[in-house]
Amino acid sequence: MPMTPSDTTEAGRGDRDLVARCRRGELGAFEDLYKRHGSRLYSVAYRITGSAADAEDLVQDIFLLVYRRLDTYRGEAALGTWMHRLAVNACLDYVRSKQGRRQQATDFIDDLDDVEPVAHASWRPDAALDRLDLERAVAQLPPSYRRAFLLHDVEGLEHHEVGEMLGIAEGTSKSLLHKARMRLRLLLRGREANPAARPAAVVAFQAASDRRGEQ
Amino acid sequence: MEPLTPAEPECGRYSALIGDLVDGPIEASAQRELDEHLAVCPACRAVLADLRDIRGVAGRLPDYTPRPEVWSGIARRLETELASRPRPFWTGARVALAMAATLLVAVASSMWLMRGPAPATQGGAATATPAAVIQSTGDLVQDVDEHLRIADEHYVKAIAGLEQVVQSDQAALDPAVAATLQKNLGVIDQAIRESREAIRTQPNNQVVQTSLFEALRQKVALLEDTVALINVMRKGDQAGAAKILGRQSKS
Repeated sequence: MPMTPSDTTEAGRGDRDLVARCRRGELGAFEDLYKRHGSRLYSVAYRITGSAADAEDLVQDIFLLVYRRLDTYRGEAALGTWMHRLAVNACLDYVRSKQGRRQQATDFIDDLDDVEPVAHASWRPDAALDRLDLERAVAQLPPSYRRAFLLHDVEGLEHHEVGEMLGIAEGTSKSLLHKARMRLRLLLRGREANPAARPAAVVAFQAASDRRGEQ
Repeated sequence: MEPLTPAEPECGRYSALIGDLVDGPIEASAQRELDEHLAVCPACRAVLADLRDIRGVAGRLPDYTPRPEVWSGIARRLETELASRPRPFWTGARVALAMAATLLVAVASSMWLMRGPAPATQGGAATATPAAVIQSTGDLVQDVDEHLRIADEHYVKAIAGLEQVVQSDQAALDPAVAATLQKNLGVIDQAIRESREAIRTQPNNQVVQTSLFEALRQKVALLEDTVALINVMRKGDQAGAAKILGRQSKS
């Protein structure tokens, strides 16, 4: 995901102007802010929660939060980055609280790497990976894998940021990400790439993947 | 077709390195070791290629567009929230003040025209007839009076608006501050009354006009400060309150 590193871009200047107008209470300026960043934040919410209805509720909460906190925005990061961070944290809080119980149950399954995933097997060798197939496969990941993968590979955060946001060590973030990618590969390649078909190799390969988390 | 799953038990040793390589350069020695393995292991090459593809596509996923109802929901909630929030200043008073200021600028430039050098009336090379000049000067005087009257009205309106805010929220003020405020307002009101009285007896005296507007401006400033004070007191901002009080005692 492209993130503006500084505020010197055309979009950054436009954002600063919008913030100033929002602070003066112009609802029209806030609507422009939504038009600029709404899709981005909705996509974050949709992918993290896996539900369009939840994402719609969350984006509304997030934009109200943005409005209330606009006074605290000091411009040290680009507005898009500031809003993105606020959104990711709100989404993580949401899935933690609302899906707390369910999540605990599935976190247990995270450790069962030898459970055979339901593969789409749509990714043929020598063919380009289709983004919709990838999205479907990501939705099937266990929650802890999915969050690490979304934050790092989709949202473009660094491991130390992912660790901070998820309340885990940087190394754990790396480990979860690697497991997530390997699991996605299985989901996408299907039985052909499924270690369950070749138990001896799987055990060694998977064990090595798991050890990363302990480094 | 290359096998997709690492077949050799030793492939497990390279899993983590392959993962690291997807995210960027790895140590030279590790890279050499991995290269040697990849050269002889098509399965691990397939893993590396696949993980790179996954990461590449994941980084370029397009955004979803939310339904229009999402914005209308935000707008509705925001309006409800804003309606329940106390407004920092009474908007009507602000508009009246801005209009009064604009009118005073217009008046000032008219006065400059009237009192400044008027070549047309001063001598031989006049292009306009004296009658026409007198006529237009008469219009200007009427114009200025009208502007001053309207500016005065706008000031009165702004003051009424601010007084309304101050009266309804005075409970937020410290009793001692409220007493000082009333005393200062009394002084300014006295000045306004005296100026108005003077204008009645000398309608064309510019100094009297100026002192009336100065008194009106002072009253507006004091009321504005008071409203600001009420707002910071409500928020419990003691430092902000002290700053405003300091400003008031100086003026």
